[in-house]
Amino acid sequence: MVGAEEAARLDRLEIQVENGGGGAWEYLCLVRKLKPRRSDKVLKHGLAILNDPKARSNLGGEEWTLYEQVAFAAFDCQQHNVAKVFSLSLSLPLHIKSEKHLMDCVAVLSKEFPGSLRVGRLEGMLLEAENSWAEAEKVYARLLEDNPLDQIIYKRKVAIAKAQGDLKVAVDFLNKYLEIFMSDHDAWRELAEIYVSLQMYKQAAFCYEELLLSQPTVSLYHLAYAEANESQCIEYSGFIILLFLRFLLTAFIEQVLYTMGGLENLLTAKKYYASTITLSGGKNTRALYGICLCSAAISQLTKGRSKEEKESSDLPSLAAEALLRDYKYRAPKKLPLLNSMLKNMKLSS
Amino acid sequence: MAEDLVLDRAIRDWVLIPLSVVMVLIGFLRYFVSKLMRSYQTPDRKVVKEGQVVLRARNLRVAAGFIPTKSFWSRRVYFTNEENGLLHVPKEQAQNPQAQMFSDPNMAMDMMKKNISMIVPQTLTFTWVNFFFSGFVAAKIPFPLTHRFRGMLQNGIDLSTVDVSYVSGRSWYFLNLFGLRGLFSLILGEENATDDAQRMMQMGGFGFDPTKSLSAEKDSLDIIQHEWILPKMEKRAEDVLKKLLK
Repeated sequence: MVGAEEAARLDRLEIQVENGGGGAWEYLCLVRKLKPRRSDKVLKHGLAILNDPKARSNLGGEEWTLYEQVAFAAFDCQQHNVAKVFSLSLSLPLHIKSEKHLMDCVAVLSKEFPGSLRVGRLEGMLLEAENSWAEAEKVYARLLEDNPLDQIIYKRKVAIAKAQGDLKVAVDFLNKYLEIFMSDHDAWRELAEIYVSLQMYKQAAFCYEELLLSQPTVSLYHLAYAEANESQCIEYSGFIILLFLRFLLTAFIEQVLYTMGGLENLLTAKKYYASTITLSGGKNTRALYGICLCSAAISQLTKGRSKEEKESSDLPSLAAEALLRDYKYRAPKKLPLLNSMLKNMKLSS
Repeated sequence: MAEDLVLDRAIRDWVLIPLSVVMVLIGFLRYFVSKLMRSYQTPDRKVVKEGQVVLRARNLRVAAGFIPTKSFWSRRVYFTNEENGLLHVPKEQAQNPQAQMFSDPNMAMDMMKKNISMIVPQTLTFTWVNFFFSGFVAAKIPFPLTHRFRGMLQNGIDLSTVDVSYVSGRSWYFLNLFGLRGLFSLILGEENATDDAQRMMQMGGFGFDPTKSLSAEKDSLDIIQHEWILPKMEKRAEDVLKKLLK
């Protein structure tokens, strides 16, 4: 976990390096440790160091780590197409812009460490960056044979599938990965997002539950779980219409059941929106909206029924008030819209 | 009996300091030798999976209150059911870790190497200390001891009238053995092969005994009563909002 102190240090170093002060190497080390995604800065400063032979020799053994880091940053910035030639043997830059060809980084590393897993991964990523998916998959398959327990290669395979738009295959790969490495919460998060984009809300809810179990204090996961539950309810209501159109009598029974299912999901969603509010101190706008919408939907679903006496809590009205205040502060122009929407919900409930 | 013996300064110069220096040097030597001899053990797929399963089961146990009851039950069944639950280990598979150790040549070699790198230098140094630094009083311990320690600490001093606080070189050796651990972690970084004391503590249990940890997790999961804490959250959210809006 990134501490606040280290995050502040990173920002300070960044400003310092941007404005021409020294400390580029320290900045790069910190980026490597904390893993924020600052690829353009890493690329710029890393290349500056690599292109300066004196600075490079100062690094000693760390030079290779820097090559790897710059290669990753270049993948991210898509600089593999930049064809500026850097003649390594002569160590003389033959151009003005001082940009190293990405191939050179990878070539240098593979010359120094032939047959190494890390360099193999880089080569695979290079092929990926150039969109030659089949070649990249071949490289990864070969690497997996030798190192069947490498997490990063599995994740690259998922990334290839996702980049090709093949979400079902990506889901497949992720599931296989998670069978072995089941406490990798990043992977669960990725899977949940893919499921949400595929609208498979039940499976997405399962993934979010896993995330909640491993990190129960992250309000983001509560929020996402609530939304997955709410969307499940909508899914159910869609179901209701379909079934009603097809079977008449059975549809009636199923409607009750599914509405029950929908109601349960809504109640769950409302609770998780509430927990998000608690964890975020009331500042999370999406959660406030969620509470209002859920309460409106619940009251609509329970309109006909008097047997379940829901306890009347102030939560929806409080949430509405908090929203109003928030909008007054930050977006006063949208206030009338909000007002009308809230009035609608209060009217219909 | 209670007289104060005056110890020659030469003892300090020629006994205590050289002994410490020698132990530090031997420690360095062991560190580098262990680095050279370290064989990279490829983790077994099964072991990795089991480790992850244990982690996941533990998460489930700890944070059970955050997910709805139904999901908790379905997960618990997934982990603990008798047929193919992840944590369930059938009786036959519960291997004796000893047998496992001897049947796996890699592990045996590893244990041997670790033992050698620890025991041999210790034995050699101890013998050396006994040979050279016995038979005279080397230091005085600042607190009184009982007579039982006489045999251990006063090696070679065959006078029973000498106070037990006056010890020979052997006690200085022991002191250094345990005390230099802190020094080594400063100089050599956290993970170094000179952690004898730590290693001795670890010798008791073989770290990755999967069957025991799995069944332990299974038992603790079976015991849990699920209590969904989310309903309380609604009340808390109300309070939070009330405070915010005040």
